[in-house]
Amino acid sequence: MTLLRRLAGAGAVVVLLAVPYGVTYYGIHIANLVLIFIMLAVGLSLVLGYAGQVNLAQAAFFGMGAYASAVLTVKVGLGYWAAFPLSVIAAGLLGVLVGLPSLRVQSHYLGIVTLGLAVAFSAILVNASFTGQAVGLPGLPVPPLGPVDLSDEYNYYYLLLAAAGLLFALARLMVTTELGRRFQAMRDDALAAAHMGVEVPAYRMVAFVIAACYAGVAGALYAGLIRYVSPDTFSLAIMFLLLAMVIVGGRDNIYGAALGATVLLIVREQFVDLQKYQQVAYGLLIVGMVVAAPEGLAGLVGRVWIRVKRAIPGARVTPAEAERALGEAEVSGLGVDDGIAARAPLALVQDERQPDGVPALEVDGVSKRFKGLTALDDVTLSVAAGAIHGIVGPNGSGKTTLFNIATGVYGPTSGEVRAYGDRVSGRAAYRICDRGVARTFQALRLFRSLTVRENVMVALDRARPTSLWRYVLAPWTFRRRERALKARADELLERFRLSRVADFRATNLPYGQQRLVEIARAMATGPRVLLLDEPAAGLSSAEMNDLRELVTRIRDSGITVVLIEHNMGLVMTLCDRVTVFASGRVLAEGTPEHVTRDPEVIETYLGDADLLATGDGRP
Amino acid sequence: MDLREILQTGVGGLSIGAVYALVALGFSIVYRTIGLVNFGHGDVLMVGAFLMVTFFVNSHLAFPLALVIAVALTATMGFGFERVLRPLERKDLDLMLIGTIGFGIALEGAAVLIWGSEGQAMPTPINDTPINLAGVTVRSYDVLVLVLAAAVVVGLYLFLERAKAGTAMQAAAMDHEAATAMGIDVARCNGRAFAIGAGIAAVAGALVGPRLYVSAGMGAAVGVKGFAAAILGGFGNIPGAIVGGLALGLIEAYASGSRGSYSDVITFVVFTAVIMLRPSGLLGERTVSRP
Amino acid sequence: MSEKRVYRWTATAVVLLVVSSLVAACGRESGGGGASSSEGKKTLRVALIGPQSGQLASLGDWDYKGVTLAANEINDKGGAGGLKIEITRMDDQGDPTTGGNLARKAVSQKFDVVFGSSSSTISLAMLPILTGAKIPQVTSGQADALTQQKSQYIFLDSPTSTTYDATLAEYVVGKLGKKKIAMITNNGAYGAGEHDAFLAQLKKRGVKPVADKVIPPDQKEMSGPLSQIRTAKPDALFIGAEEVQSGLIAKQARSLGIDATIVEGAPAGTPQYRETAGDEAAEGTIVSSPYLSNDLNEQTRAFAAAYKEAYGETAELHGAKAYDGLQLVAKAVASLDGKVSGEAIAQAMHDISYDGLLGHFDYNDVGVGLSQTHIGVIKNGEVEAVEDAG
Repeated sequence: MTLLRRLAGAGAVVVLLAVPYGVTYYGIHIANLVLIFIMLAVGLSLVLGYAGQVNLAQAAFFGMGAYASAVLTVKVGLGYWAAFPLSVIAAGLLGVLVGLPSLRVQSHYLGIVTLGLAVAFSAILVNASFTGQAVGLPGLPVPPLGPVDLSDEYNYYYLLLAAAGLLFALARLMVTTELGRRFQAMRDDALAAAHMGVEVPAYRMVAFVIAACYAGVAGALYAGLIRYVSPDTFSLAIMFLLLAMVIVGGRDNIYGAALGATVLLIVREQFVDLQKYQQVAYGLLIVGMVVAAPEGLAGLVGRVWIRVKRAIPGARVTPAEAERALGEAEVSGLGVDDGIAARAPLALVQDERQPDGVPALEVDGVSKRFKGLTALDDVTLSVAAGAIHGIVGPNGSGKTTLFNIATGVYGPTSGEVRAYGDRVSGRAAYRICDRGVARTFQALRLFRSLTVRENVMVALDRARPTSLWRYVLAPWTFRRRERALKARADELLERFRLSRVADFRATNLPYGQQRLVEIARAMATGPRVLLLDEPAAGLSSAEMNDLRELVTRIRDSGITVVLIEHNMGLVMTLCDRVTVFASGRVLAEGTPEHVTRDPEVIETYLGDADLLATGDGRP
Repeated sequence: MDLREILQTGVGGLSIGAVYALVALGFSIVYRTIGLVNFGHGDVLMVGAFLMVTFFVNSHLAFPLALVIAVALTATMGFGFERVLRPLERKDLDLMLIGTIGFGIALEGAAVLIWGSEGQAMPTPINDTPINLAGVTVRSYDVLVLVLAAAVVVGLYLFLERAKAGTAMQAAAMDHEAATAMGIDVARCNGRAFAIGAGIAAVAGALVGPRLYVSAGMGAAVGVKGFAAAILGGFGNIPGAIVGGLALGLIEAYASGSRGSYSDVITFVVFTAVIMLRPSGLLGERTVSRP
Repeated sequence: MSEKRVYRWTATAVVLLVVSSLVAACGRESGGGGASSSEGKKTLRVALIGPQSGQLASLGDWDYKGVTLAANEINDKGGAGGLKIEITRMDDQGDPTTGGNLARKAVSQKFDVVFGSSSSTISLAMLPILTGAKIPQVTSGQADALTQQKSQYIFLDSPTSTTYDATLAEYVVGKLGKKKIAMITNNGAYGAGEHDAFLAQLKKRGVKPVADKVIPPDQKEMSGPLSQIRTAKPDALFIGAEEVQSGLIAKQARSLGIDATIVEGAPAGTPQYRETAGDEAAEGTIVSSPYLSNDLNEQTRAFAAAYKEAYGETAELHGAKAYDGLQLVAKAVASLDGKVSGEAIAQAMHDISYDGLLGHFDYNDVGVGLSQTHIGVIKNGEVEAVEDAG
């Protein structure tokens, strides 16, 4: 970290510590509320902004933490600190309950479901006898802390500052390491994330639980501060305020969440004096912010900062920084130098065990029906280990459907797909990843919020969800893990000649390079079988030559390649064997020469015999 | 509950269900045609209801005339609202969510400025005499509401399927670019779609006013349930909005009858269970194309 | 405007707004006007904290109108003990947390008296803060919980739920002899309080309700519980809900064919109830309220006339309560003879008694000033007083 950054950081800490000395009784109360809302907003940002789960129950989790603390201290008789962890756990459990629907629905469906469950929770609070019902529970005890009097808000500020600081630091650790990458991958493209080994259902639940626990901490601390809980405090209005904080602040950015919380809370307090016009002004402000600046205040600050930095003589703004802040991809002219033909073998791990004779990929009588449409009809084919196998056929003939079954997008109606004897069909995509089958997609599915390097790191990372305990119990281990992962990613990127663009957002690169990144990412999962879905689509002829080299190199490092292609020239020169599909059935199979001479194939797919004469066959 | 109570509760459920259905219809039509999930929809309903109060109650115009004026005014406003909210269409849900909520908040504030915070009662346009059917009471106004709601649905369906403007709207929803290539003014279509949604909200507000009491806060309560109803039936699905609305009304009525104070809990838990079993809603979602 | 320009304008506006808010926030902290010493004190600073938005907005509105009318009248006559009354209105948005914030703000800015809030839960949230700072708090809430905090600084400007319902039960069971009583209440703070108070009163008289239904405060369709009440064939129906929901219940009950006498506390005495229920359903409702109508006596008539002239609206209970509240404060301050402090005002409010629109105020230890209500019945759209039930 530069000296400037260190000074700024130290300055910020000093200011934060000095706040109680400069404000009144009312001011410190607002400062305390700001800290509590920062915790809430950061938690919401993690689940909504990073993980992309529409969680409209954050206010309910807040309420659960506060009420659990209240009920446990007043009705059950526990001490405040004894009740504290239990309150957080209670909120976490509610998070599990409310998060379950995310396994079935997403987007606005999930929104209304979580909202409904929050309303239901509120209704329970109002009715249950031990919660004080509509009136709530007044007169909660002051948390004891040795000689420190926590009924004094000036003292409570430091407790809240410590808590908010810890939670923020934890959030920062999470978003800059594996969890943050996985969340964002999942949000950007859940399907591709699953294919890179991210156990999407587990991580969705994790997101909810984390948000709930953050809210639980905020709630318990709120109960200790205000010492009165009532159902009205945790209403829909607060939920929308939190939502506004996260979005106005900048939703996939914890700094944005904290900034949004601070700004909106203070603005709301100021608006209190405007009386009649406040509501209209407040509403219009929100609309204006969302319409004009969707990346929020944090995004605005980022842009301003980069522009300022550029203006300062001597300050260096890397293209990557500019790209991230301003979206300007200064990558034109950055071709992949030396072509893709790298000297070193491409696979990171040489696969030693090669079961003899077992086909790398075996499709056994697979059929797939979608509500009356038969996409695949009793398809059988076999790909030998170490081969480059092509799959061709007219559009709609079932080629991608076959890939989808092989990689776990959906299961077959009947039949089985095996990789080296291991059944893969019918399994979840993230499990198939472990069995050594990787793929690229017809339409690019890169993670757009992640850089090229981060895209690859997601695929490289083999950690299980169960290893998440490390965040709380051993956060220091992440430094080493990140370094190791980064090194492996850089090595892979070097082989693919992508090092120069490693820090750029993957989707800001030229199309051909994005294709390359997708292949590199698939390779990062360490597969034994690589499925490429129309890899040549949209490539120039120079890029296509590179692709040919690349695929050959991949095969040479011990990986079996199966590719769907329309470009017959590529297929002819690259593939050992070709299978031709039509209307969901295998039409022909054999060497490229054999297959292109088959009259049925010519009639269905290739069309003119003239095209064959040139050996080119581009449609 | 004995049979009479069950039937009576059912009648009540259908009557509030018709309200939810109309609100859900507004949500769905706007989503289906312009890809906007408008969380301020309940507040548009509130504006329609207040306009009705102004013309029907305060100015003593005849009910049908007041209805037409209120709907026309709200629809015109809707055209303007769409212009403001256009950047949010087809965007990410959370942006849409908070943007339209902010919009709803502003509407509510404006309503308080114009009509005050107290609210007003609205009498039924016809004599609300109870009709007695074998011990079960049906209020005549409720029958009128159901009839009018059905008319709106049929009218809407015909418009979308038969009228040129309607099919143009559907085309614009399915494929932006192709529609433009065909010479369809997509921006105007979108404005019209929102205007229609607003008009339906106004009808709902006008019909529902006598039942709910017209106040600046009425939009929020009806909005959440209406949205849930739209999702329950299948978002963007016109018949689905009706089915979802009536179903939600019935669930709520029976929940209230059996465990009164926990009715909200039961309603939303049942709703969650249904959605988890059938994620696309009872009749399936009709979505709009997204980039 | 092109999108980029809209963007830049909004960004600038936001930044300006944020900066000005922060500056204003800091600036406001220094004292906030008003001398704290009794010497040279010219104004009595009253903070009116109540809902201006949300579901309870109408209650906040009535409070504001009542308090302001009283303040203007008192100021015209020279003020309270020579001090000019200055009202500062603050919006608690119907949220207890905001209410708490505003209470702290009032303390920071050294207000003399706080009026707030219209809701019992928000009043409860503010109570410990204001009591801790020794600032008298006049509230429109009536939940019993307010009186259970054992504070010397809380003053209810209306009777408690218990008082309302004791009078009501005495009349309905005692005088009218109703034995089959059905109850329908909501589970909000007010409704729950009414439920418990009325049930206790029935128990005292050895009566068990034939139906006891509870619904959420925002429910609009009551066929479920009402059809079950219909089956029980009650001869009286007790409603414990706010004005609008009460009206809806009455209307729906009648259209279902329930012809039991409707009995209720304060909300049934308001024009809002009558409008929502419709004249037919409201007819015959029995009301227990300290302020049955504007026509009770010379004092109420004068008040109603002044209210109408100032606001163009018909006065009712809530405005009258607030009016009485401020008059009480003014009388207390006037009795102090110059040495004005929160403690002194509170003591004075306990010492004095006052004949207001709602009746005879005489505060006890826990903040209750009125211990009586009257019975009225709605006839032809107006509330008529009935002989008191003793």
